[in-house]
Amino acid sequence: MTNIKKYAPKLLGFVVVVIFFVICAYPIVWMVLCSLKGEGEFYTNIWGIPETFMFENYLKAWQQGELGQKFLNSFIVTVGAILLMVPVNCCAAYAIGRLKFKYRSIIYIYLLMGIMIPSGVLGIPTYQVALALGLNNSLIGLILVYASGSIAMGIFIMRSFFISLPQGLEEAAMIDGATRFQCFTRVILPLAKPGIVTQIIFSGLGYWNEYYYANLLLTDESLRTLPVAASNFMGRHNIEYTTLFAALVIITIPAIIVYFVCQKSFVEGLSAGAMKG
Amino acid sequence: MEKIIKWKEKYFPYLMCAPAIILFTMFIIVPLITGFAISFFSWDGYSTMTFNGGENYLFVLQDEVYRQAIGNTFVYAIAVTVLKNIIALGLAFILVKKFPLRNFFRSGIYMPVMMSYIVIGILWTWIFNPTFGLLNAFLRLIGLESLIRGWLSDPTFAMASVIVVDVWKWIGYHMVLYIAGLQGISRDYYEAAEIDGANAWQRFKNITIPLLNPTIVVNVLMAITGGLVSNYDIVHIMTDGGPFHATEVSATYIMRTAFNYGNMGKANAMTMITFVIAFIFGFIQLRVMTRQEREEN
Repeated sequence: MTNIKKYAPKLLGFVVVVIFFVICAYPIVWMVLCSLKGEGEFYTNIWGIPETFMFENYLKAWQQGELGQKFLNSFIVTVGAILLMVPVNCCAAYAIGRLKFKYRSIIYIYLLMGIMIPSGVLGIPTYQVALALGLNNSLIGLILVYASGSIAMGIFIMRSFFISLPQGLEEAAMIDGATRFQCFTRVILPLAKPGIVTQIIFSGLGYWNEYYYANLLLTDESLRTLPVAASNFMGRHNIEYTTLFAALVIITIPAIIVYFVCQKSFVEGLSAGAMKG
Repeated sequence: MEKIIKWKEKYFPYLMCAPAIILFTMFIIVPLITGFAISFFSWDGYSTMTFNGGENYLFVLQDEVYRQAIGNTFVYAIAVTVLKNIIALGLAFILVKKFPLRNFFRSGIYMPVMMSYIVIGILWTWIFNPTFGLLNAFLRLIGLESLIRGWLSDPTFAMASVIVVDVWKWIGYHMVLYIAGLQGISRDYYEAAEIDGANAWQRFKNITIPLLNPTIVVNVLMAITGGLVSNYDIVHIMTDGGPFHATEVSATYIMRTAFNYGNMGKANAMTMITFVIAFIFGFIQLRVMTRQEREEN
């Protein structure tokens, strides 16, 4: 009897976790299985494992959806926005966090307002501004929009990292003859690596998966990113669903790889972004 | 020479902040002002603009579809917030303790977080497919044929179906945050309470909940702002507001008004309304996130 009392909650917990695990993971497994089925089997064999694994679906998706170009576009936009956002955020966060100057808190509050303006809410006017600047239909325009959207949160995270470093690091370096900027790049930045990694992973993932602005700003077929391509793929009439599912897997693979490579920084970064105050 | 060094020293912080200020102003603040300005004009996006005072806002408020869309947006935001947080908190309580294959389960539950709304939307549209979908196949398997329906084409169930998908995507994210929050609570409190004879419920009510409170608040606010604003992708790909506006949210209706109906003035007026709503919740979130800091100062 005591045994039941002791183990019942544990067992119940285990059952709950397994159920949610299956609900979360099985649709993804199913997506992969569907991408490997033959066109006929897709409709008749809903549950099961494919009879023959049709790896040629992936080749078809790659060619029919011209995913090579789109993969490259997504890659350029993601990497470009990261390369722009990280230095911009680090510089500003360093100044705000570790230097004393007039209007410092006003500048900080101004930039933090971005946290109150969630990405996507200003879609239409951003489109108008990009149009006026001639930045619509260009990957550079999209990179600028993405990077701007990451400024507030990025500075918030980086500033808390910079503040947590001990005082006097710069003085020591300056006595050794370093300039202000060298102090920043050679002494402080290497110590803030975890914060930088956090920013890269989270914002990068967001850029890779982003659809709203990519769809709004890029109209040229040759400039489209992967999520936009998938959405258009679905709109076609003569579409083979196995091919579509192969395309979905192709889009997802890079994100999953990043997750498994950086799993540790993921969990640390998540809590840093949300909890640091 | 001395002067140059002094000048550099004085302006160095401003130079460091300048790129961030310029980018932020160009692509967040300028659009905000532009949107506010356009919301007072009647404009189709191409021809000349004519000032019409607050007429757009009047049209918006009289628009029955918009009222439905705003209602749906709030239903959506509240439903996803409640479901995401309750499920994630429950799972976090279980998975924070020693547990067989703990990391394996955590990773599996986290996987949907990594995926694009577009991928998820297409995948779930197919899971909900009335004839070939996984969900109806499952219902057939367990003998619940009576529940079989076209989940996304039935106006009564379409909204709930989309909400389920959004919740599915983000459970893992909130779970990880809650686990981190729970791990931050020192074991000493629990040991002391146990010595004093507190039972499990008392420990939960008097230690866990108060100390987890900041985590809960941040999670709830993130889910609300996300639910209010970041729902365009998923709704657009799954139902695009249909059937009969049953899943119309303000984001999809704004896009339709701007590009299908060619009414940029009204679309911007609606954008401003959404902006104000999101700004209020964002402001609370920011206050909570910076509370510790403000208390220290």
